[in-house]
Amino acid sequence: MDPEMTTVAGIAQDMAARALTWLHANRRRGALGDGGIAGDPDAYKALTETALAACLVLRDGAAGSREAALARNLLDFCWDQLQEGALLYDRLLRHPLLTDALEGYAHFARAGYRHPGVERLIPHLAATGIVTLVEHVPNRRLAVANALRITGHGQALEAAQWETLARATWLGSTPAPWHIDWMTGYHLTHTVFHLTDWGARPDGLPEDVAAHLTRWLPVWIDIWTETCQFDLVGELLLVDSCLLHPHADPADWQCLAQRQHPDGLMPRDGNPVDDDPVIRFQEHQHTTIVAAVAGTVALTRALDRAGDGSGTGLLAPAHGDRPQ
Amino acid sequence: MITHRSRAVHSASVEVLARRVREGLGGAGSGTPVADHLRAAAEGGGSTAAGHAGAREGAPGPVVAAGAVRLLSADVVAGHLLAGRPLPAPESQAVRLALSALPPAPRASVAVLHGGEGAWLRAWTDWGLVTALAGADATQPPVPAPVPPGPPVCEDRLPRRHRTGGAAEGGSVREGWVAWSLRMGQLASLALPHLDGPVHDAARGGVLGLARGATRALLRGDFATAARLNRWLAWLAADGSTLPVDAGVLGAEIALRGGGERCLLDVAIANRMLEGERAWTRK
Repeated sequence: MDPEMTTVAGIAQDMAARALTWLHANRRRGALGDGGIAGDPDAYKALTETALAACLVLRDGAAGSREAALARNLLDFCWDQLQEGALLYDRLLRHPLLTDALEGYAHFARAGYRHPGVERLIPHLAATGIVTLVEHVPNRRLAVANALRITGHGQALEAAQWETLARATWLGSTPAPWHIDWMTGYHLTHTVFHLTDWGARPDGLPEDVAAHLTRWLPVWIDIWTETCQFDLVGELLLVDSCLLHPHADPADWQCLAQRQHPDGLMPRDGNPVDDDPVIRFQEHQHTTIVAAVAGTVALTRALDRAGDGSGTGLLAPAHGDRPQ
Repeated sequence: MITHRSRAVHSASVEVLARRVREGLGGAGSGTPVADHLRAAAEGGGSTAAGHAGAREGAPGPVVAAGAVRLLSADVVAGHLLAGRPLPAPESQAVRLALSALPPAPRASVAVLHGGEGAWLRAWTDWGLVTALAGADATQPPVPAPVPPGPPVCEDRLPRRHRTGGAAEGGSVREGWVAWSLRMGQLASLALPHLDGPVHDAARGGVLGLARGATRALLRGDFATAARLNRWLAWLAADGSTLPVDAGVLGAEIALRGGGERCLLDVAIANRMLEGERAWTRK
């Protein structure tokens, strides 16, 4: 491993561990209220995003045993909040076009948490063309496609369809790099996340799209670092880790890591962080999840590249199935 | 001491001269922007003592006007270099007058990166003006123009703010694209036909760095820097390089959203180079 990659791996490992610790310590602040998913959509979103971070820690297997235990514990908590998938099943059954339940379920399924009803619904939805059935923005359609792939129902999507879905996004058209704004930045990050399945498939990006990112990602990271948009910076660093040949600038990682609070909270921007624990959770939970995921994937890619030099695969999942 | 008012008068003079040069590029001007500028200063400026404040409100004195010529540097003869037409005698004399009023430093600084960057930049822009003048008017004996040391080399894979190497390590300085592109922007007046040298070689080796720098500047709303770097991109296109961006579209974006005569002049020069890709010969 070259010195710069070693530096990035060290920073990423520490960042992810601290973020995961904070998410675990504060998990009950994200509990679902009595109104369930419909009554507390923010908590619902936080639960599925927490599940995403935790399932990637387990998938990649690069974290230590302590972090793996925290991740498993977080998944258990989130799954319990969703009544072991029953709330997701109910939502998907009543509102099949609300694909968030399918997208959220995929994070649990990846880690071995399954609900029989949802498992029956997914192939049906896949057969009805759920990926394009809903008038989502293009990168969200990729999210649905990736959820089908994760849950084992993506075989109906041929390579040409992935290509079509990718080309419909902002990033897929490889536009002029200055025609980007804050929201479009998130569109591009999620396009990459879903095409590569959060870094597991770096070759899932069309070659010209990967080249476009290699050229311009350093500019976008620079811009949003300067404006202290740490949430987006974290996602852009994660995008870098999803590339076949990550740039992995240690200065970028150091800059973000310096913003992380001692307890692991990652602030979303340069504004003062409120002292109220509830507000802290509400405002910075997402960015802390981003830090956990970005650190996890960066560490995995660094270890992977050091291990075989190819940079194309991931370490074998060490915790792929939920213990009975 | 440079006062706020004095700075404003200098800036205004530069803007007026930039407009005159730009109008000359489009064929609307007289073809002698420098001579016109100095003449207007002499007629309207009155005082020759310091030349900072004109007798008429907003009019520069002759020294201020000569300073504007030196600041725009090779840009003042851009119209003639781009069109491939010789400099009219009055215009050549006017440029030489400005050079004699504010002569270049006799020796180029060698302290590029160790506190002497300002002097090094001035040495290069002076070299640009003197060389461009010689290219546009071969009838007069050239003004001596020492070639300063070359710039650092841009390396795309380096962290963007990184700097390494140097004379002490027996090699050229290698830099990430942020600082490197900003410096190249300050040398944008060298991006003209008939000028070629170590700075241009560095530009050839830093196409992506220049495009990244221009994109960064545009996203930051720094249209002046974006225009300067786009000018290098246009020069590279004319020189035969393949660009990672459409410099014409980038220039249009800058012109529509930016402002200021110098910015518009840079865009206009870039457009002329793009229109005449390969029409002028590399030195």
